[in-house]
Amino acid sequence: MRHPLFTLYGLIVMAAAGWTSWRGLTFSRVDQTTVAPKSIRDNPGAYRPIYIPHRRYFGGK
Amino acid sequence: MPQVRALFCPNCGGTIQLRGYAQTVNAVCEHCLSVLDTKAESLRVIQQIQERTRIEPAIPLGSRGTFEGTRYEAIGFQQRSIDVDDETYSWREYLLFNPYKGYRYLTEYDGHWNYVRTLPALPVRSKYLTRPALVYEGRRFVHFQHAAARTTYVLGEFPWQVRTGETVGTDDFISPPYLLSAESTEHEVVYSLGTYTEPAAVWQAFGLQGAPPWRRGVFANQPSPYSRPASMWRRFASLTALLLVVLISVAIITPHERVLEQVYRYASHTPAAAPFVTPTFELRGRPSSVVVRVDTDIDNDAASFALALINDETGQVWDFGADLGYWHGRDEDGNWSEGRRNAAATVPDVPAGRYYLRVEPSIDEAAPISGVASDPNRERGFKYTLSVTRGWFGWWPFLVAFPLLLIPPIAATARYYSFEGKRWSESDYSTYLSS
Repeated sequence: MRHPLFTLYGLIVMAAAGWTSWRGLTFSRVDQTTVAPKSIRDNPGAYRPIYIPHRRYFGGK
Repeated sequence: MPQVRALFCPNCGGTIQLRGYAQTVNAVCEHCLSVLDTKAESLRVIQQIQERTRIEPAIPLGSRGTFEGTRYEAIGFQQRSIDVDDETYSWREYLLFNPYKGYRYLTEYDGHWNYVRTLPALPVRSKYLTRPALVYEGRRFVHFQHAAARTTYVLGEFPWQVRTGETVGTDDFISPPYLLSAESTEHEVVYSLGTYTEPAAVWQAFGLQGAPPWRRGVFANQPSPYSRPASMWRRFASLTALLLVVLISVAIITPHERVLEQVYRYASHTPAAAPFVTPTFELRGRPSSVVVRVDTDIDNDAASFALALINDETGQVWDFGADLGYWHGRDEDGNWSEGRRNAAATVPDVPAGRYYLRVEPSIDEAAPISGVASDPNRERGFKYTLSVTRGWFGWWPFLVAFPLLLIPPIAATARYYSFEGKRWSESDYSTYLSS
């Protein structure tokens, strides 16, 4: 087989791309933590989100 | 190998050894460098003046070496030169002799060696694109260079009339690792075929001491260490096609299931502005992404959603958010609008389980609306739809993988054409751009 290294490299790239798609991985900014699920359901306001809103004012031209 | 015949130089009396026997026409006295006619009854001096600087052949005359299974003896040496753009380029030729096989040649230029034999048949004239070419034994040789080669130094014996200062026209045609040379005089054209030979092979064949001199530059018929990039591009095409097949297959089998869709209303200064949780919903199947989408009817305002996807069984939380805003109006240029009324966030690699969303909508109370300072006590609100979809397929892995696959063939192409560019820079076609 010609270019065995390139073929191997290509298969690795392809496998990585396929696996990434398969698991639905993205570059989205998502933080992970663990809580007691019942406590949030009982008192949603008690949870302090990690996410900070982007206060962007467009406000017209 | 037969013994040599010894004669005496009529000019200086030095001993001259003839190794080529009856075929030898001219010999050069190694003591006084006179060119002698060996066909005369007694040796006759036919040229006395040579360049005073003696050149020591890298292969001493009289050395024997084996090429293609035949033992040859080095019996003659000459240096030839061409002038290009006021620059003189010189190469060296060694005449090899075997009484049964005849003559062969070794040529050397800047450390590059060729093993040369004269052709028993004529090549056929041809064309390659716009360039002259020759076809010999089914192989096409493309024209490389035309020059007038001048003999500048001779030593040993030769089966032809040899003189320093003699000039012949040369045309080189290449098909690496071969070089087909046409040497033309008024009366004849002699074709010879050179095969690029590794310097170490010459050293080994003649049992020469030390290491051969370093090669400089790229020689006309030097084989490229890099293969043509076409096969690399074919492999790239097949890998890209395979990548597309894999990703399209993943896209087809990725679930696309809406697991939650709820409509809410946000109103500032009311309980509807407080954080809340959605009903639970079930995510099934293999770990995959989850898309949370917010569609609003927001108008000349902005909102943020702090969102948390929470596994109701394990307590694992994916914390993320969505920001949106939509403004429109009319000014001297006409109607305008900017921003968007919806936003989506993708949560990757979420395992199966029972989940709910914690939602914390908000608006920036202090932000002015359309350039007019807002009243912080004014109620602001909007309606929004919250939806959760299991499974999302994006093309970004392809957009990353495709350039990564491109790197090796581009590098191979650059390497190949850089080598070929160096080769052809020494030719009559130095503006060479493509093969």
